[in-house]
Amino acid sequence: MTDIQRYSPVTFESSVKESEVRDNWKIVLAYQNEGPGPWLVDLGHKTRWDLQDSQIDDPSQSGLSVPSSPGTCFLAEKKLINRMNRTQTAIWHLGIEETIIPDFNGFTDVTESTVFLALFGPDAFHVAEKLTALDLMDPARTTPFLLQGPLCHVPCQIVILERHADMSGGFIMTCSRGYADSMVQAVLDSGREFGLRPAGETRFADWVRKVQNQTSN
Amino acid sequence: MKRLRQFPTLHIDTNETRSLKYRGKSLQGFAGDTVATALYANGIRIFSRSLKYHRPRGLYNLDGESSNTCMEVDGVPNVRTENTLLKDGMVVKAQNVKGSVDHDLMAFIDKLDWLMPAGFYYKTMHKPAAVWPVAMKAIRKAAGVGTISADYKVKGRYDEIFLTADVCVIGGGAAGMMAALTAAESGVRVIVLESRPHLGGCWDYRTGAYKENKPLFARARELAGQVENTSNIRVFKQTSMVGAYNNNLITAFQVGKSNDAFTERYVEIRSKSVVVATGCIERPLIFENNERPGVMQVACAHRLARSYGLLPGEAAVFSIGHDLGLEAALDLFDLGLKIRCVADIREDGHDAGLLAALAERKIPVLKGWVAAKAHGCKQVTKVTLATLDGTVKRHIPCDLLVASAGHTPVNGPLILAQTNIAYDNHSGFFLPKKLPEKMFSAGWMTGRSHPQAIEASGQVAGLKALAAIGVTDKTAVFAAEKEAAALPGIDRGCKLVTAPVKGRKSFICFDEDTTIKNIKQAIDMGFDVPELIKRFTSAGTGPGQGGIPGHNLPLFVSKYTASASKPMPTAVRPPLVPTLLATYAGAHHHMFKRTPLHASQKKGGGIFRNIGVWQRARYFSSDFDCKDEILNVRNNVGLLDSSTLGKFRIFGPDALKALQRLYVSDMSKLKQGRIKYSAMCNDDGCVIDDGIVIKRGDNDYYVTTSSGRAGNTVEWFRYHTRYDGWQYHMVNLTDAMGVINISGPNARKVLKKIADADISNNAFPFAGYREFTVKNTIPVRAMRLGFVGELSFELHVPSSYMQSVWDMLMAAGAEFNIKNFGLEAQNVLRMEKGHIILGQESEQRTNLLDLGLGFLWDRKKTAAKTVGAVALRQAENDPGRFKLVGIRMQDDARAPRDGALIVDTHVRGYVATARKSFTTGEAVGMALVESQLSKPGSRLEIYEDECNEIRLQARVVPMPFYDPDGQRMKM
Repeated sequence: MTDIQRYSPVTFESSVKESEVRDNWKIVLAYQNEGPGPWLVDLGHKTRWDLQDSQIDDPSQSGLSVPSSPGTCFLAEKKLINRMNRTQTAIWHLGIEETIIPDFNGFTDVTESTVFLALFGPDAFHVAEKLTALDLMDPARTTPFLLQGPLCHVPCQIVILERHADMSGGFIMTCSRGYADSMVQAVLDSGREFGLRPAGETRFADWVRKVQNQTSN
Repeated sequence: MKRLRQFPTLHIDTNETRSLKYRGKSLQGFAGDTVATALYANGIRIFSRSLKYHRPRGLYNLDGESSNTCMEVDGVPNVRTENTLLKDGMVVKAQNVKGSVDHDLMAFIDKLDWLMPAGFYYKTMHKPAAVWPVAMKAIRKAAGVGTISADYKVKGRYDEIFLTADVCVIGGGAAGMMAALTAAESGVRVIVLESRPHLGGCWDYRTGAYKENKPLFARARELAGQVENTSNIRVFKQTSMVGAYNNNLITAFQVGKSNDAFTERYVEIRSKSVVVATGCIERPLIFENNERPGVMQVACAHRLARSYGLLPGEAAVFSIGHDLGLEAALDLFDLGLKIRCVADIREDGHDAGLLAALAERKIPVLKGWVAAKAHGCKQVTKVTLATLDGTVKRHIPCDLLVASAGHTPVNGPLILAQTNIAYDNHSGFFLPKKLPEKMFSAGWMTGRSHPQAIEASGQVAGLKALAAIGVTDKTAVFAAEKEAAALPGIDRGCKLVTAPVKGRKSFICFDEDTTIKNIKQAIDMGFDVPELIKRFTSAGTGPGQGGIPGHNLPLFVSKYTASASKPMPTAVRPPLVPTLLATYAGAHHHMFKRTPLHASQKKGGGIFRNIGVWQRARYFSSDFDCKDEILNVRNNVGLLDSSTLGKFRIFGPDALKALQRLYVSDMSKLKQGRIKYSAMCNDDGCVIDDGIVIKRGDNDYYVTTSSGRAGNTVEWFRYHTRYDGWQYHMVNLTDAMGVINISGPNARKVLKKIADADISNNAFPFAGYREFTVKNTIPVRAMRLGFVGELSFELHVPSSYMQSVWDMLMAAGAEFNIKNFGLEAQNVLRMEKGHIILGQESEQRTNLLDLGLGFLWDRKKTAAKTVGAVALRQAENDPGRFKLVGIRMQDDARAPRDGALIVDTHVRGYVATARKSFTTGEAVGMALVESQLSKPGSRLEIYEDECNEIRLQARVVPMPFYDPDGQRMKM
């Protein structure tokens, strides 16, 4: 009898230290020897929604307050809301709580559509500048902010959550799920000189908590 | 050779040795040496032989401005050894040599220069024409700058980096560093590019006074320390700028140090403003044998001593035209070099302090004199000096001739940025008339050489760069400009190009062996523009990118033609500095999409091909005819991974209008629970896509597209509804849903075992659509389709569950001999059924009617103007169009290749797909042919590449070839 299991498009070669099964996903909480950073975390199991509506600014329609201008984001209660354009917003759930898609026609569950990765820690942006010409360190933008453009020539959505002058900090990104193998290989290859290693969900959760505390403070 | 030690200016570490192999011997250098300086320290004076005449060539400068020191290093030819840092264990060889570099058997060609006037290859060897191929081979064998094996694989790791800056400073000399520091004070992001391994420019080794008690090199180090310790300045050393493009996009490449993760990397900088502070190089002095080993430029001799601890010779003659020559002579004398004489082109304008210092050391200075000839076969042994008019001569024995006519700004970066450059009579420099927007120049390249003036110009440029991007106002710029104006201005420059010689062996371009005589010949033949002379004589087209002849050529042409207009520089193009193609390729990550089943398909024996952006399993055995895969689908059941299909959700109040606009069919008739196959055309009526449309709810549709079109679908919809203001939305679900095709007479028996729904023919008929779960967990969207002509279910499954569903189907189908089948098997199966694949049975000009899909087009729908409908109405009555027909080969054992031409005396069409059908035993296919050939029974002749005029024969036959009533799909 075949077990029912959900598979992430991302596989890391590192040895798993701790994992758990949630909604048929086998989620790695920690890997052996995650090192001092930077880290790459697979977030493929985290729920992502797409919201499209011509009245997207009106929360009474969708039940969701979205940022007012494209490229801006809200991070609150482990939920990242990224305004993409005039009529579209991406909603990324960063916590582990179960989510139920709202009963509004404009929402589509796109969890399965994309690779979902977080790259954070020391030198995170040194790794990034080997992969994209997008200006992730643009001083004119306030974190969190959304960039839509190519990373390794693949169209991506990138949300910068934290950044510092020493190129530490981090970002979360998505691209088409099919690119998972190529993208992860390219990112790990580019990050090798900085000690980039896969990490588990726990480290990501700690980072998001820290970022959220900084934002609220 | 003994090294001078204990200098503060040294860049070598004598405590750390490095070895290299040259001509079978192991030689020693030090950390910080370049390959060329290490060779020089070991007594090597001839580094290469010249391109055409095989003349001996030696160290002339240290910045790679000529191919003199291009050598083969670790198997890579044309490595500029004078600015390639020495690494332990390097193997170095001379190139373009027959015999040894000291005794080159081809050196006799030097005596035959009279046979090779300017442009000789354009004028000779054309008659008789048969001579040319032979002569070309001989010339290529005799001339060259190194060869590489065709299968050579470049070693090392190549990378890329993409940077953004507010101010990018090109050049890490004093002016560049001042510009960077000034800009950085405001907190903006600054990048400094420096081609050498260290900052400092020409101050780095000079002992002249910056201020009282502070030599220039000390100031350079002070500034370098400040720059490197400023957090918002990023310094990239050993980084040469190679290109400048619109909107201040600067490209460069960086050579990695031993502890870097890359060998070389491509650097791309998007900068809001740019400061160019690339300084000057020396303008070569032209005289007879001016490239003989032992002749070198002032900075080369000076840097050899001050940076690498090498006295460049024992007894030297200087022939110079500027104060830096006097300064170098003085310093080198103090370091132990015997200076026989200094010949200065200038009659006046010398720095009085330097003259006094030379006099104090009893070094004779001849004003208004110049080197006319270097003597010695392989190394300078004597120099002939002459007065500028050539009437008086003196012969002085020496082993080193330090020669330089003057200086010339390195304005390649400005020219690449489309700056208009003009000749300045006072300085003798080519200076910018007007700089491009948000680009500024600073330092010595502006004509200023006074230390404070150089720094001030850097400060002004830094402020201008800030003002250009709105960080500071112009008041600060005006104040800085005022202060700079009070400092010494642009120097008067030396204008002399050649000594008073005929020029037979006076080389204006070392790389291409172009002499002054060649230039005169070209001018005498009617070429009067430097750009044309450059092409006719090759001067400046070598690896040095015109570094040596770049300034002298236009000056000489202007003088020789007695032109009234000012000299014009010749163009330079990227890459400004030569580098490896591997560097441009960078990390070269292969970015491909893979389906959720990629790993298991590979494990199952899948042989993959790159198809568009996807990697797909085309075969599942080494039998590329796929007989077993095909027959298993026809007789049992097979599984195909079709996840690459495009999939979209289209919803919103006006979604139906959009579908009506884009699809040729009437989508208002679509019912829930049914599928609709339809096509999309462009405005010409040509088919651009086909797929399934499903209505899942009110104003909520799910559509599939071909794999190749998925990436364009959203844009295609938006474009064709751009003026309508319709309210509808699209979500690309291509990657969200995997697709499994289970096909074959036993397909239902297998699926029934895992589906939580009645999938009998009554409950789920052909062309039906159902949503159910698998094992009460996995949501599935299922369609009854028949692309391969058998009972088939197309299962759309959330990607994360794909592997589980696939494994369940494989387990459930084991008793029915279920097997994978790949794209090629699918291709044959659907061809037997006469089903088309767009791109295979169609090309850009193929319309809906040509393919026999006119039945899809609803001519009566009025709700929206269908894209392509107008063109289709016109095409309906056009007899001159191609038609898609079925063909059967006369020889059933021989199917033609896809794309083979259908011909008589002209091309009449082509074969779209043709295969040996294992189901029918016939060689059949589909072809697009002219309409008069489309009737059943028409005979066709087929021409294949390399068929030796033996044409294949076929006849037009009805389609489909298999199950014409479609009973098997509807089981």
